[in-house]
Amino acid sequence: MIKFFFLVVFLVSNNIFSILEIEILKGSDNLSKVAFVPFGVEDGIEESYGGQISKFIEGNMLLFGEFENLDESEMLSYPSSESDFYYRDWKIQGVDYSLIGKVNSVNSLGNLNISYSLFNINRRIKILEGEIIGSENNLEGISKIISNRIYEQITGLKGIFDTKLAYVVNSDPETYQICISNIDGKNEQILFTSKAPIMSPDWSPDRKKIAYVSFENGLAEIFIQDLISGQRDSIQALGMTNSAPVWSPDGKSLALVVSFSGNPDIFLYSLNNKKLTRLTNHYGIDTEPSWSPDSKKIIFTSDRTGSPQLYEINTKSKRKKRLTRDGNYNARGRYFPDGKSIFFVHGNDGNFQIATKKLSSRYIETLTSTSLDESPAISPNGNIIIYATKDGTNGYLGGITLDGKSRFSLPVKNGSVREPAWSPLLN
Amino acid sequence: MNKALTSLNTFFLILLFLSLIFSVFSVPKLNVDEQQSIKVNFYELSQQDDILFDSSIPNVTIKQETKKSSLTDKKIEPSEAAVVSKFKFNKSDIKNEISKIKLSKEREDILRISAIIQSRISSIWIKPNSLSESLITKVSINLAPSGEILNFKLIEPSSNNSFNESILTAMNKMTFLEDVKFLDRKLFEENFRNFNLVFKSSGEIE
Repeated sequence: MIKFFFLVVFLVSNNIFSILEIEILKGSDNLSKVAFVPFGVEDGIEESYGGQISKFIEGNMLLFGEFENLDESEMLSYPSSESDFYYRDWKIQGVDYSLIGKVNSVNSLGNLNISYSLFNINRRIKILEGEIIGSENNLEGISKIISNRIYEQITGLKGIFDTKLAYVVNSDPETYQICISNIDGKNEQILFTSKAPIMSPDWSPDRKKIAYVSFENGLAEIFIQDLISGQRDSIQALGMTNSAPVWSPDGKSLALVVSFSGNPDIFLYSLNNKKLTRLTNHYGIDTEPSWSPDSKKIIFTSDRTGSPQLYEINTKSKRKKRLTRDGNYNARGRYFPDGKSIFFVHGNDGNFQIATKKLSSRYIETLTSTSLDESPAISPNGNIIIYATKDGTNGYLGGITLDGKSRFSLPVKNGSVREPAWSPLLN
Repeated sequence: MNKALTSLNTFFLILLFLSLIFSVFSVPKLNVDEQQSIKVNFYELSQQDDILFDSSIPNVTIKQETKKSSLTDKKIEPSEAAVVSKFKFNKSDIKNEISKIKLSKEREDILRISAIIQSRISSIWIKPNSLSESLITKVSINLAPSGEILNFKLIEPSSNNSFNESILTAMNKMTFLEDVKFLDRKLFEENFRNFNLVFKSSGEIE
């Protein structure tokens, strides 16, 4: 009887408790508008500090075209504390988020206490507040920390404003340089200059070292350079040539390409005991390895079926799986930070574009619209892909956000810029 | 004892069968005035756009969510309307046809308003990047007949907080869905007084 009762209730409830449902799949193409109000300054402190901090934060947040700003001249008020803050002043300007803050003195040594609050204007709530103590000589660094927190609060993704880029600059046919800089192109440092080609820079997970390939001794050779001491060491793995080094997520080994008698294969190289372990063994070219975020798999490019395609190999079981089948050129694959998707260079009729693919899906999707894109790198928060591309003969770094709303090029100096590598986040 | 159980089971099976038959046959009689759900999905609405501009063709496809009755997709071909005008049927047939047309008119209204609501919410929702994650958040809305949003509630939040926040932000931007005020009052009460918005993201990488 109870069964029967439930059955009836179930059948009846199907009809009674269902109501109209409207699905929303598409979001707006608009960007969130943020007002970066100049920070207030306590008496006795250099007045320009307030404006400098808000400008630094604004510069960071607008860098990748993910937000738009309200111009300072259009602001109706310049509140620096919550008691002076009125939502309506921002609502009528169409602002989504408003950042205010205040700079206070801690001591006479120039240490400052900077407090800030972020408001969601539509919801009429404060969504973030915080304080930072720092030196007046490091306003830019302090601003990066605040920018990261704001970015994380609004987007739910990690802020990347204190990450760095490594890249190769080829200013004339005989000068190759490996450089690192902040993501806005500022603070560029040249790590090494050579007359022979330099390739494939890759950051160690602790951000202290960079591995790259240099031809300075005539053959491709992998060097690891310490960023603090500047010391360079060749890893001198066996084989004729070594190339395409990539650090494992735990930093203990490198995946690399070693060529014995002209046939490149993928190997693992342990940095502790300098032992080389073979992963692939095929007469085709296997190259461009990269680790999955969980370190269990390595994606690589191979022409074993006649055209370059992407494969992945389990580092323990050595089981291989082909990942791409569309078109006759899919190369330089990398995993997204969540390990569920990959991005790579997809060639089609002489055009080379950056494409993405969910590992669980058959389809690939091209992201970029330029035609000679190469060596894509992803931001550690998984939201931005940068790549080297060409404008005539000049190489520059282009970028795109994954939702496709924003495309940008990174400010770089003269000379062709190639092979960007994005540093990991600071832990 | 076993015999008793078997016969009881048979009884339930027959009952289940009968109730299925009942639910299938009761569908055409299910006027929109019964509390039924009409799930409007995106693709139907994009087809529906054509109809919005040419309302003379009553080619409406409505997917009903009543789970037991998947046969409820209802199509009225333009030719069918023509047939009705060409031939004389007996009285009950005509009555049937009229109620069908009335029904389709009501459904068309529901679809039209749903499409407007959908595009208005879409135009203000700034969807965050959810990488490869698939997310679903359900919001329940109460409307006044004037279209004023009386209140809304996240009834089924997703696991991603910034996704939920983006939806709350969008919902706070919207104060009126005034298009419902042109609806027949009965239709409004039955469908738009209280309805759900289902926000979905399949991740940035399709």
